[in-house]
Parts: sequence; structure tokens; C-alpha cells
Amino acid sequence: MDLDLNVRKEGDHSVLEVAGEIDVYTAPKLREQLIELVSDGSYHIVVDLEKVDFLDSTGLGVLVGGLKRVRNHDGSLQLVCTQEKILKIFRITGLTKVFPIHSSVGDAVSAPAE
Amino acid sequence: MDVDAGGPSATVRLAFPPEPRLLGTIRLVVGIVARKAGMGAEGIEDLKVAVSETCAVAVGDLNRAGLTDPIEVDLVEGAERLGIEVRDHAPASAPASGGPRDGEVDDRELGLALVGALVDDLKTSALEGGGNRTSFWLRRDPAGLDLSVLEPGGPGLSSLDPRQDDLPPPLT
Repeated sequence: MDLDLNVRKEGDHSVLEVAGEIDVYTAPKLREQLIELVSDGSYHIVVDLEKVDFLDSTGLGVLVGGLKRVRNHDGSLQLVCTQEKILKIFRITGLTKVFPIHSSVGDAVSAPAE
Repeated sequence: MDVDAGGPSATVRLAFPPEPRLLGTIRLVVGIVARKAGMGAEGIEDLKVAVSETCAVAVGDLNRAGLTDPIEVDLVEGAERLGIEVRDHAPASAPASGGPRDGEVDDRELGLALVGALVDDLKTSALEGGGNRTSFWLRRDPAGLDLSVLEPGGPGLSSLDPRQDDLPPPLT
């Protein structure tokens, strides 16, 4: 089990593509990547979860932490996800009201700033 | 643990050391057992999340207590549902999660909320001699509920109340 992370720039946004399983074992890697992006001045982040097979509460906590960090710089953290099993986790925990969730990276980067 | 009182059941028992890297393996095995038991795709995903979250709490508690005692997971196949029991030997005095990291939420609370929302009849109790037992069950096919009970003249929603077929006392 592993977690693959890939970062690319799309306009003003940094797109973080995540592949694999996000749990208590792998979430620290995601946390470090988000912290590094913010430290490098990337305050508008899109996290693409389309290739994520599993997401647990530790992963949710890391994403919330990332959101708070970018908001400290008036930034944004948006998600891309169309997988029902992952969306269900966000719905149950009420985080669909916290994160803007889009169906594609294109939709996310073109979404108006909130 | 018998999820179908009086009916046939089979138990798969797993034991693993409290290492976070093994949670993926547990999810894999649980998914295979559930699929072979005839559980639908959505139920399998719910089960994997619930078992993983429960085991993650046990892993954290044991790690903080400096213990390496194995965590035990029982999967009990019943005719209509799959029962789960997770046991660990973390002392009751083991400190809690230590709170969320800076800027994050308490993922332990989130995890418990997730499990509670995904499963039926979630129960936690202390093990004699120290430790914790968490049990719950999931229907094999949540979408396959008999909705005829809602028809005029039917027995009504109360007939679907899971408390009516409570789990018998767990094994000690």
C-alpha cells in the first residue's frame, strides 16, 4: 500500500493529484506535501482525489488542516472527486459544506474564488 | 458473537500487531471475506471504512501505551448480515489521542462518527482484565431491505428495528 502524490501548476492553482489509500499510515505524507506547498507560496490548491481508493478520518483531518493553512493566506483548497464511496465519507462527516467539491480539475481551477 | 441467532454462522478471525502499515492488509482481507459472503459493493466499502477506523483507534491506543499485543478481529458470517468484533488489550488508562494537530480536526472523533453512521448496533465495552471490545454489524445487502413493510397494512418501520434481533452477549 502506498500513496502517490504529483503536483503540477494550472494557472494560479497548484494541482495535487493523489493516488492510492489515505489512512493513518499514509496521511502524514499528504500532510507534509500540503505544508510544503503552502510554505512555497501556493495558496490556491486543488486536491484531485479521483485516483484515491480509500479515505479515512485521518485523511479528512489532513485536508481540513490544509484548508485552514491556505485560508490563513486568503487562499483556497478545492477538491475533485466523483467517486461515490469517497463522496459518502465527506457527506457523513458534513464536510461537503466545508470543501468545494468539483467533478473535474478544469471545473475547480475555473471556479470563482469564494 | 452470533449474528443470526439459531442460524448457521462462520467466523473468520484475524490477529495483527498494532502497526499502522497493516491496516491496508486488514481492509484487503475484510473486503475479500465480505465479497465471498455475498455482500454488495457499497456494503463492502462501508465495512472496510468501519473496520479500518476501529482498528486505527486500537492501534493508536496500544502504540501510546507502548504495547505490542495483537489486535483481534472477528468477522462472523450470518445469513442476513456480517458481524464484526474488534478486541485490543490497551489499558483503560491509556491516554486519549492527545488532541488534533495544529489546524486539524480531531480525527478520532471524526472516525467514531463515521463508524456510527455506517454500521448497525455499534457497541463498545471494556474487556475483563483490560482492553476494549467494539462490535457492530452490517446487512449483506442494505439495498435489499424488504420495503413491503411500509405498504398499507404492513407491519411498519418498527419491524426493521435492528434492536429486535440484538446480538447475544459477546465472547469473553
